[in-house]
Amino acid sequence: MPWRRTRLSFLFFSLFMCSCMIILSIIGTLAPAESVLAAPLNVMVGFADDTSRNLSALADDLSEIQSLRERNRELEAAWASAQAELVELREYRADYNRLSELLNYDAPARNQVTVAADVIQSYDPSAVLRTITINRGTRDGISEGMAVVTDQGMVGRIIDVTALASRVLLVTDPSSSISGRLQESREPGNVVGLLTGGLRMRDIPLDAEVSEGELVVTSGLGGNLPPDLEIGIVTSRRQFEFEITQEAEIRSLIDFDNLEIVLIITNFEPIDLTSFDDEEES
Amino acid sequence: MGNFLAIPILLIAVILQATVVPQVRLLGGGPDLIFLATLAWSINARLEEGVVWSFIGGIFQDLLSAAPTGTSVFGMLIVVFGVSGIGSQVYRIGFLLLGGSVLVGTIVKQLSMYFVLTLAGFSIDWLVTLGYVLLPTLIYNLALIWPVYWILRGIQRRFSSNRSFSMR
Repeated sequence: MPWRRTRLSFLFFSLFMCSCMIILSIIGTLAPAESVLAAPLNVMVGFADDTSRNLSALADDLSEIQSLRERNRELEAAWASAQAELVELREYRADYNRLSELLNYDAPARNQVTVAADVIQSYDPSAVLRTITINRGTRDGISEGMAVVTDQGMVGRIIDVTALASRVLLVTDPSSSISGRLQESREPGNVVGLLTGGLRMRDIPLDAEVSEGELVVTSGLGGNLPPDLEIGIVTSRRQFEFEITQEAEIRSLIDFDNLEIVLIITNFEPIDLTSFDDEEES
Repeated sequence: MGNFLAIPILLIAVILQATVVPQVRLLGGGPDLIFLATLAWSINARLEEGVVWSFIGGIFQDLLSAAPTGTSVFGMLIVVFGVSGIGSQVYRIGFLLLGGSVLVGTIVKQLSMYFVLTLAGFSIDWLVTLGYVLLPTLIYNLALIWPVYWILRGIQRRFSSNRSFSMR
């Protein structure tokens, strides 16, 4: 064939084909093919990931028996002291329930319907993106934009769905931006991911009281996510003289590298606010 | 034969990439096994084979990633063409040449990937990414190219006795 005669034309032809593939993938034309091809890969990677985790856990257990015994003693002591606090918190809950009934108010968190999913791939091979793959897809009622959580808080959002699997953009990805709120002071801010795996809350009002250890939750502003999902705790804050807002470093309670099971909130309907923008424009 | 071997070899590489590499990460980077396998194979194979390996390996990698399909292929194609060009100029691949190919190839592949991801709308902090991901990946790739090259060279010798240099 003529195009194979010269190395340069072969290079340009290959790069052209590759560029076409990238463009078709971005606009979604390749989505059905990607879905079909990714299905067996996901199964194989899921199986290999499971085996690797089990072997790794076994090796860790064997090497950490002594430290685990010590840790067990510490946890038993902590558990005993936490009992008193638990009793007190139960009292508060009872009070809260009574007051809620009086106000005819239901916290959104109570009505959440969730679907449990196994993490079948805990690492994005590109290394610069922070995503995980879970074994639930459109067949289980999963759709793009749904929030993914664990009992320790917010994990991320669904960005890509196939019939049997979904990809979750972690809150720690630099592309992720969530509207958050400091739980005690109720001050708002934007929580963005960092490449280093951490979180940063930006745009906190300058006069806001930000204290270390304060919990950060989703605000629900923007209508994309349910409110009051835990994001993390404040570890430090910083404020520059020349800026009109302040920032806080956040640490999530979730170990994103070792996620095994997550919950997808399926009954929250994101509110599309773009229609207001369209009205303004027209 | 090399084209048929690409699927099982790169399948193993991509499974290891998705399961074992996360456990040995240094900062945010780890060995890029698909790139190493493609480079090691391309050095002693025909250019067409290298291109097929780039496409298969890159597509496998991108199918398991949030990146658009083809993102990883782009940089690997440039590297394979470069390696093929160098391979045709020298009698045998030496220690320095292999190291140099990995050094330049890793930088080209990673930078082209970040470029495509930026175009696709992902947020890439270039300065942080270079130090946090590219540098560790480079170190790992330089260390692992020797065993990968040695294993794949053995497979090549076993399966492809008749080398053709139609493009060289």
